[in-house]
Amino acid sequence: MMDELELLKKDWKKREQEFPKLSHDDIYKMMLKKSSSYVKWIFYISIIELGLGILVAIFYHPSYEKEFPLPRFMDFIYLITIPIIIYFIYRFFKNYQQISTTASVKELMKSILKARRTVKLYILINICLGGIISIISLTATFIQLNEDWEQLSSSEKLKEYFTFILIAIVATALILGVFLAIYYLLYGILLKRLKRNYKHLKKMEGDE
Amino acid sequence: MTQELEHKFVSELEKNQNIVHKICRIYADSPDAHNDLFQEITIQLWKAYPKFRGDAKFSTWMYRIALNTAITLYRKSKRQIKTQGYDSVIHKVKARQYDDTEEQQLKLMYQAIKQLNDIEKALVFLYLEDKNYKEIAETLGITDVNARVKMNRIKTKLKKILNP
Repeated sequence: MMDELELLKKDWKKREQEFPKLSHDDIYKMMLKKSSSYVKWIFYISIIELGLGILVAIFYHPSYEKEFPLPRFMDFIYLITIPIIIYFIYRFFKNYQQISTTASVKELMKSILKARRTVKLYILINICLGGIISIISLTATFIQLNEDWEQLSSSEKLKEYFTFILIAIVATALILGVFLAIYYLLYGILLKRLKRNYKHLKKMEGDE
Repeated sequence: MTQELEHKFVSELEKNQNIVHKICRIYADSPDAHNDLFQEITIQLWKAYPKFRGDAKFSTWMYRIALNTAITLYRKSKRQIKTQGYDSVIHKVKARQYDDTEEQQLKLMYQAIKQLNDIEKALVFLYLEDKNYKEIAETLGITDVNARVKMNRIKTKLKKILNP
């Protein structure tokens, strides 16, 4: 086997003459073409995701569409989303800056996966907050349509409320689940090869 | 200024284009894919060029970016249908002076390499390029020992593919 690989090494060098010789002009034209790399696509999708989060935060304030006052702590939930978004925007750009083609193969893969994880976390937090907000809003609205907050605990309709809350939770979870599934599918396709290669590289370290 | 930089870059790449061709030979399955990957590597090299300081050799600097592109960044376009026999086309390009058995052996070797995974291909490529284990390890981001162990495994694996 050793001999065969050495033989191949010799052949490898000889074959250099078989390659097409690209001219200065050919290379110049190629250089100006648009890249179709994974990172570019992941970057664009991440920007859209961040943008959607920001848009939701700006335009969807729980107290806007309100004929019914919502519990006070809803404002608090809304307020904490702002520093969260600012933090993620900062991390996002920092991560993408760190992706460098001059790094080792492993470092490059790591930095791409890290950038991806940040946006994934951002989406998860957004979805959780969105879920909590919609469940509370739905429930609060439902209760107020029927009677006052104060009467809730003594109400005979307690069972009915619980049923409604349960339905609200299940419906929200289903809708968000569909979003998440689409999201994972999207990245599953984009990152399939990268993840596979990263696994091969990691495995190499494992079996020393 | 930009024009000067562009010209300098293209000249350097023109001189060292065989490195890129060789990576394409290992990773691409068809002449179309070869051109596509060559183009993507050129784009990535150009993007990284402003950061190239010149304290390393241009060719050394190229290895990393070109391999990173082939393994991590390159997105195979759908229109590329795997065409079998790309290798055999290349092999027939020139009449060889080798005797038949040697020719046959080499052909099988190239085919066997095509069956390796992307990381293994990178190791074989760097090995064929006469890089030492330290360089191989640094390019991939693993330890020297791991590179050596893995290379031995690949040799065994190739042997198995060739003599099932």
